[in-house]
Amino acid sequence: MFFTHLSQSCKCNLKKYTFFLLCFFLIFPAISMCGYAGAEDKPSDAIDLEFEIPEVEKKPYEFRAELKVLETVKGLDEDSLIFRQKYPDGLDDKTLYQTDLDLKVEGSYQAKIAKLYARLKENLSYNDEEAWENYLRTEEVYVSLQPSPSISLDAGKKVLKWGKGYAWNPAAFFSRPKDLDDPDATMEGYYVVSGDLIKSMDSPVKTIALTPVILPISKNINHEWATKKEIVWGGKIYFFTLDTDLDLMFLLGKEVNDCFGFSFSKNISVNFEIHGETAIVLDYVKHITDKQGNLTEKKYDAKDFLFGIRYLTARDTTYILEYYRNGQGYTEDEMKDYFSLIQAGYDDYISSQNMGDLIASRGYGSQSYNKQTVMRDYLYLKVSQKEPFEILYLTPALTCIYNINDKSASIAPQMTYTPITNLELDFKATFLFGKDYTEYGEKINDYKILASVKYYF
Amino acid sequence: MKKIILLLLICQLLVVPVFALDGNEMLRKVDRNLNPESFEMYRKLINIEPNGSKKEFVMYSVKKGRDKIASVFLSPASEKGRSTLRVGENMWLYIPNVGKPIRITSLQSVTGGVFNNSDIMRIDYSAEYNCDKVEDVEKEHILYLKAKTKSVAYDRVKMWVDGKSLLPLKIECFASSGMLIKTLYFKQVKDFGGGVVRPAVIETDSPLYKGYKSIIIFAKVKTKDLPDEVFTLNYMSKVENLR
Repeated sequence: MFFTHLSQSCKCNLKKYTFFLLCFFLIFPAISMCGYAGAEDKPSDAIDLEFEIPEVEKKPYEFRAELKVLETVKGLDEDSLIFRQKYPDGLDDKTLYQTDLDLKVEGSYQAKIAKLYARLKENLSYNDEEAWENYLRTEEVYVSLQPSPSISLDAGKKVLKWGKGYAWNPAAFFSRPKDLDDPDATMEGYYVVSGDLIKSMDSPVKTIALTPVILPISKNINHEWATKKEIVWGGKIYFFTLDTDLDLMFLLGKEVNDCFGFSFSKNISVNFEIHGETAIVLDYVKHITDKQGNLTEKKYDAKDFLFGIRYLTARDTTYILEYYRNGQGYTEDEMKDYFSLIQAGYDDYISSQNMGDLIASRGYGSQSYNKQTVMRDYLYLKVSQKEPFEILYLTPALTCIYNINDKSASIAPQMTYTPITNLELDFKATFLFGKDYTEYGEKINDYKILASVKYYF
Repeated sequence: MKKIILLLLICQLLVVPVFALDGNEMLRKVDRNLNPESFEMYRKLINIEPNGSKKEFVMYSVKKGRDKIASVFLSPASEKGRSTLRVGENMWLYIPNVGKPIRITSLQSVTGGVFNNSDIMRIDYSAEYNCDKVEDVEKEHILYLKAKTKSVAYDRVKMWVDGKSLLPLKIECFASSGMLIKTLYFKQVKDFGGGVVRPAVIETDSPLYKGYKSIIIFAKVKTKDLPDEVFTLNYMSKVENLR
């Protein structure tokens, strides 16, 4: 069905689709040729080994930016329940196009022990549905005081990424969830006051580092956390012992659930790393809908686990494999009830134009059910190969996310090419597989293609 | 006759440890001649491809003791702010976008090219290797080094050392199978001041990367007192503050 749908979509939009792909693939060789043309084509012995390195002069201020142009093509699955939930009347065009222009600017100013840092992200996008959209977001802005290398104090909007997982971090209590499509992307922080106290020792425990955190909640800041004013306390204690990183972390609040976590990582050999993470969220309240749309609450201590490896072969292939148990996630039966609600709502709308159940399901979906990693057990595998077939600066990769509970999956081949310093070309296609009433089988799209050009300056 | 053979055997057994001791002592002197106990430096790393195109990276590094080194990339813009830390055989990479240190392995390369992480985050050779044998050839010594543990990037290393300055001239790195992985050439001895006189350039090539070459140029190598706390995960995002 998927391939039939894909071919139909492609036929419908053949001109746009072909034009888009042609444009992107023409960029690769064109820029590559520019890169070679711009290179200094002389023997290495003749290269001037200058010792005066201009970049070493330090300035009190620093500035860095990246500009990204991203084209997204989404092949919608009109038979999926999430499609029917969003577009019960259907769409004429089964392929959506979106163009994004992202500008990320970061800068800092240092005066003695104080440093001011800010990172802003501006996004301008155009798509078939909503035309032009624009937003400016302050991802981070904070002041950092560092009287000595062992003490620092930060105050402001800051990202605190805890945990050792690559795709998921259940113990990152003060972070927003990672985007599974791009786990390395920058994130937006929360307003916090945090510090670092570091002590190194000549003993079996070589380093202890304490990171206390205070997160205030009010109607003006961090209001996503709770409905009432409160101060959330937390912290992380890091130990480096027996060549192993160990972290203990906690979060204590009133309306916010108390959380406790632990993470570790260790290099087993020169090319093999293992890591793990666990967290418990006390008195977690899960909202569950039944087939009729009745919402119930289930309170329990949610336990999350993650275990992963990173392995590099002699042929420069890197494997990242992770298993994640999401204690807050829905069971297969709970998800089937949700999908049944959408199906019933859609049938009701088609037969009697009654939107009641569909609107209710949309609410539940945006709150939890339609988010990433919504179920309980997942596998993540990323395989990347550095410069295969002696093609310089090219890194192909394949990412697979497998939902163990309902046996649905997402598979994403990707190519990253950096022919010139500071320029990165990326091409990624994501295909979703799954039967009816499964997470990836019922996603709004069958496939998604992303092509981007990023320039750093 | 038996007594003479026994005596010769005992002498032979005694000779081997004497060589080993001399070799390890010489290796420690090579380490100290390459850099002071605690210091800072700037390095430009150049990867040269077979077609002549180049990629350049500038990094600031601090090193303390035999097995602690931290670095931060100053350029190009795409790499700026990335920092690396090595404590013994433990290595981490901090990418500002990712926002937290991740463990990396010595055989990976944060810059690409012929240099891998263990080359870029070089700790004292004597911290990783024992000297099995020393050969004297004209005005040079050849040290035959064996890795102390399996977690060291190269199982065996053959090091040519200048007999007068006790600075390395050339190093060949071998895998446990005996295969040559790469050769490092130490060039252009320079006086950096403060008693630091060492090669300012290291070039490398590898039979595994035919036609490729990587070069490291050293600048502003000077002694600096550094607290141990600098070489911790929590400090990785702040290494540039030491400049």
